[in-house]
Amino acid sequence: MSSKIIIIAAAILIIASFSVLFVIDAKNHNYDYNKAWSVVYFEKPRDNSLDFAIENHEGAQAEYGYRIFVGDNKVIDEQVEIDAGATQKISPVLDSEKLKGNKILIDVNYKGTDYKIYKSL
Amino acid sequence: MFISLLKLILTIPFLLVLPGALFQLAIFGWKSVSGGGKISFFEKAVLTVPFSLIIVDLIVLLLNKMNILLKGPVLVGAVLIFCLVCFAVYQLRFGKKKSKKEEADETDSTFDFSTWQAIFILLALVLAIFIRTAYLSDTVIPSATDLGHHMYWVQTIINTGHLPNYGVPDFIIGEHMIFAAVNLISGAGVMTAMPALLLLFFNITGIFTIAILLGRVFGSNKIVTMSFFVAGSLYAINPPQGRYVSGGVVGNIMGDMLIPVALYFLYRALFEKNRIFAGLFLFFFVGLLYTHHLSAFVLIFSIAGILLLYLLLNIKNALRIVGDWLKIFLKPFPLAVIFLGVIFLLFVFIPSYFNAAAVSQATGEPMKATRVGLSLSQIEGSVGSAQLILGALGFLLALLALKTKELKYSVALGWFLILFAMAWKPGWLYVNIPSDRVGNYFFLPLTLLSSFALVRYFELFASATSRFFSTIFLFTLLFFVITSGLSDSAEAFKAKNQFQGVMETFHSAAYLAATVDTNKDIILKDHVNIYGDSWYKLFFMKDYKYPLSRGVLTRYVDPTKPRETCTRDMISDPESDAGKACFTDTGVNYVVVNAQIEGNSFEKYPDFSKVYGSDYISVFKKD
Repeated sequence: MSSKIIIIAAAILIIASFSVLFVIDAKNHNYDYNKAWSVVYFEKPRDNSLDFAIENHEGAQAEYGYRIFVGDNKVIDEQVEIDAGATQKISPVLDSEKLKGNKILIDVNYKGTDYKIYKSL
Repeated sequence: MFISLLKLILTIPFLLVLPGALFQLAIFGWKSVSGGGKISFFEKAVLTVPFSLIIVDLIVLLLNKMNILLKGPVLVGAVLIFCLVCFAVYQLRFGKKKSKKEEADETDSTFDFSTWQAIFILLALVLAIFIRTAYLSDTVIPSATDLGHHMYWVQTIINTGHLPNYGVPDFIIGEHMIFAAVNLISGAGVMTAMPALLLLFFNITGIFTIAILLGRVFGSNKIVTMSFFVAGSLYAINPPQGRYVSGGVVGNIMGDMLIPVALYFLYRALFEKNRIFAGLFLFFFVGLLYTHHLSAFVLIFSIAGILLLYLLLNIKNALRIVGDWLKIFLKPFPLAVIFLGVIFLLFVFIPSYFNAAAVSQATGEPMKATRVGLSLSQIEGSVGSAQLILGALGFLLALLALKTKELKYSVALGWFLILFAMAWKPGWLYVNIPSDRVGNYFFLPLTLLSSFALVRYFELFASATSRFFSTIFLFTLLFFVITSGLSDSAEAFKAKNQFQGVMETFHSAAYLAATVDTNKDIILKDHVNIYGDSWYKLFFMKDYKYPLSRGVLTRYVDPTKPRETCTRDMISDPESDAGKACFTDTGVNYVVVNAQIEGNSFEKYPDFSKVYGSDYISVFKKD
């Protein structure tokens, strides 16, 4: 009888352990749950498009500042508010003639942290 | 989420309990009779998992050989057919003998525990599972390097419906089939907690398989009881336990569960002269060959050590003993298992390491520094001080109680000696495999000896003439064992999870998978400074070696043969002549690095655009 109790108890303990771990994984396997980070990227890294996106995984609605430089010249300086967990896509309108041969730098700032991406066209 | 959990919780017993239970029903019947040998409910319950694992593997191998696409319904059908066949065999063999069965019920008391023993086992199990769960709660998101490599192959099976051709001897098919089967039936993805949960299941089952081996070897329920504390709670996190579960050292975890089962059946076959157990030993040996080469290698040496010691201790009767052993194995059932095993190994699926090169690589004089053996302090570090001291005490007590004609002493002493020699001086045995990997198996005989030592010492203590000194010694020993043995478990409560880093890694991989053309673009990522990077390949599923990876830096230095260094140079020094030549030769045009480390350096290089930037990961594109 005792051996049956041990086997049944072990099965219950294993199911309890599995359930706890499964839920922990399911909740945390998420870009936002208990996390605070941001990311900036070009939507089309393979070509000359300057369309980019900012993802807010800071855990709350946040205001991001972004500046765009062509060479050393700042051509855009804007603010954008992004909901928690949301992605803001931005398609900057720039004079294509001025872009040729220059490094285009996009500098996104959130609470003093800079996220820079750039392309040389 | 809860539906997914329910599906997983139902799938695991369907695949890892049901086939083994029905198979045992066909072999042993309902009431534990087996050609004169008996097997208790406790043993049968424990053995359902290892039996099921091997059976499901063999079913998948057979389906693959028949060119049947591996899909969920196919697997469910195949398992059900297998179970029905087993039930039919049971009806055929035992159906008309119901009354006899009842009479012949298991009467062995080894696994019939007293109330206090049951409470002790339950407390040890609660502690064992609690420590492991606490530790895994910080590591359960799939991120471990080895697990990432294994899950690539599992995903390949899932995507293609066929077993892969690895092309390298590093992977063994048995390490992957069960994960694919669970996914195909339950839908639980490989990038969820599922792989870690299955490994945890095998690890906990391993505590039970050691217990039944000890029960049969020593015939004492006190030693079985103690083994739950030794195997389950002492060093519950150290390799090859919790850390190997989260680390995804799949073969080791499965091997640690299967080796005791193989030895259990071998011991019973020889001790009870039972042909059924002999056949089942061979069944598990074949299963282990399909599961993990190193574990099979260790099992072969373990058996050789045990049997040779026994023959040495009974040298006068050695020939007669060998003859008796052969008689057990030269019976229809073991011979049928050998025949079917050979058919499987030669015609159904040949394990990837079944070639002369792989065998010669593992045998002979050790070549590398990592294969020449561990020092005693390294062995102590590997298994833990308390475990080693208890094991040494157990060895001494077993030596003092030695009765040469009893096989159990050869199991206790021979197993320890052979693994100790393999880990300490592998050159003596012509073993040429990484010594630390052998050291990971050392805990198996040490658990046996430690459990024996604790119980034997309590018995000696009870009959000691000088209670004062024995009491002091007993409490000193117990204090040391508990403090040292549980010290690693503290890690379970102080570890900081890396979930954000892992998710940022996955995000960058998903970004690249969505934006690059894998036929034209070659990605190089950094393994050294990125957490969870080995899972990158699962986002592309293009090739096992895609993307390229800068490995641990010591791997680029190998005195035995030249190694490629491009994957290192393209990240460490991309502007050097060697680095530039490597970019040209390999065609790498994307580099993924840790934003805080190489990310800052790469921003200074004029030939790269930075296309992705997060707190943790930077992706650069070569212009």
